[in-house]
Amino acid sequence: MIKIAHLSKWINLGNIRNFILKDIHLNIAEGEFISIMGPSGSGKSTLLNIIGMLDSPSEGDYQFLDTEVYKLKEKQRSTLYKTHIGFVFQAYHLIDELTVYENIETPLIYQNIKSAERKAIVADIIDRFQMVGKKDLFPTHLSGGQQQLVGIARALVAKPKLILADEPTGNLNSKQGEEIMELFTKLNQQDGVTIIQVTHSEKNASYGKRIIHLLDGRIEKTETK
Amino acid sequence: MLKNYFKIAFRNLWRHRVFSFINIMGLTVGMTACFLIFLYVRFELSYDSFHSKADRIYRVVSDIKTPTEVIKAGGPAWAVGAHISQDFPQIEAAVRITGDELLIRKGNIKFQETNSLYADSAFFRMFDFKLLKGNPKTALNEPLSIVFSEAAAKKYFGNADPIGQTVLLTGDGLTAKVTGVMKDIPENSQIKADMLVSMSTLTRKFNPGLDDQWGNYGNATYILVKPGTHVASLQAQFPAFLERRNGTEMKKLNMYPSLILEPLKDVYLRSTRDGSKIGNINNVYIFSLVAAFILLIACFNFINLTTARSAERAREVGIRKVVGAAKGQLISQFIGESVLLCVIAFMLTLGAAALLLPGFNYLAGKTISTSIFENMHFILILFLASIGIGLLAGVYPALVLSSFKPVTVLKGRFATGTKGILLRKGLVVAQFTISIALIIATIIVYNQMNYMRRQDLGFKKDQMMVINTNFDPAKETFRNAVASLPNVKSVAMSSSVPGSGNPGAYSEIENKKGDLQIANLDLYFVDFDYIPQYKIKMVAGRAFSRDFQTDTTQSMILNEAAVKMFGYSSPQQAVGRRFKQWGREGKIIGVMKDFHFRSLQEAIKPLSMRIEPRGCNLVSINVSTQNLPKTIATIENKWNSLIPARPFSYFFLDEFFDKQYRTEERFGKLFLNFAILAIIISCLGLLGLASYSTMQRTREIGIRKVLGATVPNIVNLLSKDFLKLVAIAIIIASPIAWFAMHSWLQDFAYRIQIGWWIFLIAAVVAALIALITVSFQAIKAAIANPVKSLRVE
Repeated sequence: MIKIAHLSKWINLGNIRNFILKDIHLNIAEGEFISIMGPSGSGKSTLLNIIGMLDSPSEGDYQFLDTEVYKLKEKQRSTLYKTHIGFVFQAYHLIDELTVYENIETPLIYQNIKSAERKAIVADIIDRFQMVGKKDLFPTHLSGGQQQLVGIARALVAKPKLILADEPTGNLNSKQGEEIMELFTKLNQQDGVTIIQVTHSEKNASYGKRIIHLLDGRIEKTETK
Repeated sequence: MLKNYFKIAFRNLWRHRVFSFINIMGLTVGMTACFLIFLYVRFELSYDSFHSKADRIYRVVSDIKTPTEVIKAGGPAWAVGAHISQDFPQIEAAVRITGDELLIRKGNIKFQETNSLYADSAFFRMFDFKLLKGNPKTALNEPLSIVFSEAAAKKYFGNADPIGQTVLLTGDGLTAKVTGVMKDIPENSQIKADMLVSMSTLTRKFNPGLDDQWGNYGNATYILVKPGTHVASLQAQFPAFLERRNGTEMKKLNMYPSLILEPLKDVYLRSTRDGSKIGNINNVYIFSLVAAFILLIACFNFINLTTARSAERAREVGIRKVVGAAKGQLISQFIGESVLLCVIAFMLTLGAAALLLPGFNYLAGKTISTSIFENMHFILILFLASIGIGLLAGVYPALVLSSFKPVTVLKGRFATGTKGILLRKGLVVAQFTISIALIIATIIVYNQMNYMRRQDLGFKKDQMMVINTNFDPAKETFRNAVASLPNVKSVAMSSSVPGSGNPGAYSEIENKKGDLQIANLDLYFVDFDYIPQYKIKMVAGRAFSRDFQTDTTQSMILNEAAVKMFGYSSPQQAVGRRFKQWGREGKIIGVMKDFHFRSLQEAIKPLSMRIEPRGCNLVSINVSTQNLPKTIATIENKWNSLIPARPFSYFFLDEFFDKQYRTEERFGKLFLNFAILAIIISCLGLLGLASYSTMQRTREIGIRKVLGATVPNIVNLLSKDFLKLVAIAIIIASPIAWFAMHSWLQDFAYRIQIGWWIFLIAAVVAALIALITVSFQAIKAAIANPVKSLRVE
C-alpha cells in the first residue's frame, strides 16, 4: 500500500543542512497496524505528515496504492488523501463551533456526498460509537476521551483505507488511552483498516504489529510481533 | 454545504460577540452615514428635475456693462421677458417671476405673505407645478388673479372651495379673485411660493409700463425653447435683439446688457448669480467624497478586524483542510461569512437610517426624504452594495485564511510572520489620514464660522429690533409712537438693514477727473437717525443732519469702497463732489467707514446712502435689554392700534444677519458629525490591529517580563508602533487638508488664516485617541501572567 524509498527531509540553517528525516525506506501493506516510536525531534510526526500528504519531503519516492504521489497534481493528490486517509490528532482538533454530529459530517460534505446519504452514514457511525445521546453537544462539553472518540469517528466516516494517528492518547489518561487502543485494534482486525500511529508509550506501541523506532531521522530498528 | 457554512458563521459571530459587535457596528455606522449622504446628494441633484420640460427650460440672466463695472444680474430687464418670444419663433414661452411680500386679508384673517410671487400666465404651461383647481391656461391671465398653494388656501378658506372667492390684496385693499389652487410646491424646487399673483397685476395695475422698460431690472425670466433648438446659436442672436429693441437707450445710459442662458437644472447648484446661490455643487462633491471615505474606512476596518482574528481561526482552517476542504471551498466560506456580516449590517443600517432620518432632515434644514422606503430601488441598490462590500472586504481575509498550511497551524505554534502586516498598517494609516483630514477640516470650518460671528462688522447689531411696515401710510406715526416708549433708546427708518439686501441704483458720480461716471451703486434710503443709531463711523465730511435743509433732497453719503471705485485716493477728496441718482442730484457730504452690509463671504461693495422718507419701510428700534418681553408687547400694542390691517412681525438684527451663515453652519455641523463617525470607525480598526499585534507578540511580551520589563515598559513598546502610524497619517493628511480647506475658504472674502496650531490640535487629538485605544489592549497584554504565554503546548 505504501512504498517509501530514499526519502529525506532537511532544512537549511545557514550553510548547514539539518536532516529531519534521512534516507527512509518503508513498505507498508494493507491491513497492517504500525506504531512509530522515538524521542522528541526524531522525525516521527514529520514522517506521518509526509505519509498523510500534508507535508512533502526534500527528496525521495512515495507510492501510495501504486500511485507515484509526487507525480500527481495538487488536486489529484488532495482527492487521493481525501478518499483514503483519515487523521487523528493528539489535540483532537475538533471544530468548536460545530456539534458532534456536524463535526463527523464535515468530511462527507467536502466529498460532495448528498445530504440524505450523509445522514445515513453519520447516523450509522454515531450508533457504532454509541454517541447517540451526545450528538448535539459541542466538543467543549465532552471529556478528552469522548472528544478523541469523535475525532476517530470523524476520521473513519469517509471509510478510509488508512488511519494516521499522531499521539492519539497523548492527552488522555491511561484508561481512556486503553479504550482508544482497543478500538484501533478492533478496527484493524474487523474492518481491515490500515493504522499508523505515532506514540511515546511502549504500552500503546505494543498494540501495533510492527514497531518502527526512529532516531535522529533514521530508522534505528524495526520490531515485528 | 451552505447550511454548514451558515451555521459556522452564525456560531462564530455569537461566540465572539464583542468582536462581531465591533465589526458589524463599524460597518453599520459607515453604511448608515453613506446612505444618509446618498439621500442628501440625490436630493440636491434632483432640484427642478421634476419638470417634464426641464431640458428645454432656460433661465435668462444678464451681464450689464457700465463704464465702471460689469454687473452680474440674476435676470434681464422687465421688457425682455415681455417681448422675447415675439421675436424668436424657437421660443415657445417666456415667464417672468418676481418675489414680494404681500398683505392678504379675508375678513378677520390677515397674513403678510412673505413668500409670494408675481408670475406670467404661461407659468403652468412651462413648469410642472400642478393646479388642483382652476384652469392652468387662464388662471394667471387677468390682473388681480391669485393662485394659492393648498396650504395657503386652507389658511383663508378652510375646507371651502376658494375658486371664484375674493380676498383683499395689499394695504390698499384691492379686491383680488382666487383663480386656482396649486399643489404645495415640492422642496426640491428652486422656485418656491405659497401664493402666485398674475404678472399683469404688477405690469398693468401697480406699475404700468413695466413691460416696456428695458433698463429696469428685478425679475427672473425663464424661457421654454422648442424641441431641437440650438441654444448657443439662439444666444448668439440676443445682442442683435437688444440692439434692435433698445439700442438708443443703451447708448444714452451707457449701459450695455448681454443675455446669457442657464439651463434650468443648473441654476440651483451651479449658478452664482444673486438669489440662486442656495445650493452649492461643491458641497455636493464634498459630501459625496466624505461618504466614500467613511465607507472606505469602514471596509478597511472590516478587513483589519477579520484578518486580525485569523489566528483564532487558523486551527479551524487546518482541520478543514485535513478533512478534505479545498482552498476554493474555504475561500467561498470566508467570503460568505463576510457577505453575511454585511447583510446583517445592511439590515441594521435600514433601521438606523429610518431612526436618524428626521434628525438628519433637521440637520440639513430641509426634508430630504420623509421615509427611507420612499424609493425602494434605492434600498435595493444599498442591498446590492452591501453584498458588494462583503465580497470586496472579504476577499483579502479569505485569501489569507485559506492559505494557512495545516501542518503548521495544527501544531499550535502560529506565526504568520510579517506577511500582510504592511497592508494592515497601510490600511490604518489610510483610515487615520482620512480621519485627521476630517478633524482639520472641521476645526477650520468652525473657526471660520466663529470668525464671521465675532468679526467687527462696522455697525451695531445687538439689541436692534426690526419691523417691516411694508410702506404703510401710518409708518411715520408708528415710528414716533415707538420712539417715545420707555426702554426704547432710539428709532431709525431705512429701506434696508445689513443682511436684508438692497437695491442697486443707476448712478452718476463725479470721479477724480471731474467727469460724471456711470455706475450701478448699492443704495440705502435712510433717515437722520440711522447712521448714529447703527454707530456707523464717518471718515470724512459729516453725517446727515436735520440742521441742513438740503440734506433731505440733495445730499449723499458714500462708503470708502465707493470712493475708491471713483478713483479718489483719500475720502476727503470725495466730499463736495456732484451726484445724480434716480432723479435726484446734489453733493456728496460725507464718507462713512466701510461696514459689512452683506455677509462676510462677500467683499464690501461700494454703497451710497440718501435721505428719502418715502423709500423707508423698515423701522429699526434700539431696545434696552431690560424687560424686553414687556417692551415688545408694548410695541405690538402700538402697532395693532395704528396699523390694524397688517399682522405684527419683527426680527432681531443679530440673528437675522447670522442667518446668512446658516448654510455654512449646517455644513459645519454635518461635517463635525461625519468626522466623529470617521474617528470612531477608525478607532475600531485600530483596536482590531492592536489586539492582533499584541496577540502575535504575546511570547515576546512574556519573555520581556520574565527578564524584568515593567508594565509601562511594555505599554510603551506596543504603543510606539501605532503612534508611528498616526504620525505618518498626520504627515499625509495635513497638506491634503490644507489644500482642500484653503480652496473652501476662497468662497469667503473675509477669512481666517490656516494656522499651524490647527494641525497641532488635530495631531494631538488623533494621537490621544489612538493612544487610548491601543493602550487598552497593551495594558491587558502587559499585566498578563508571563507563565501562561510562555507555556508551549
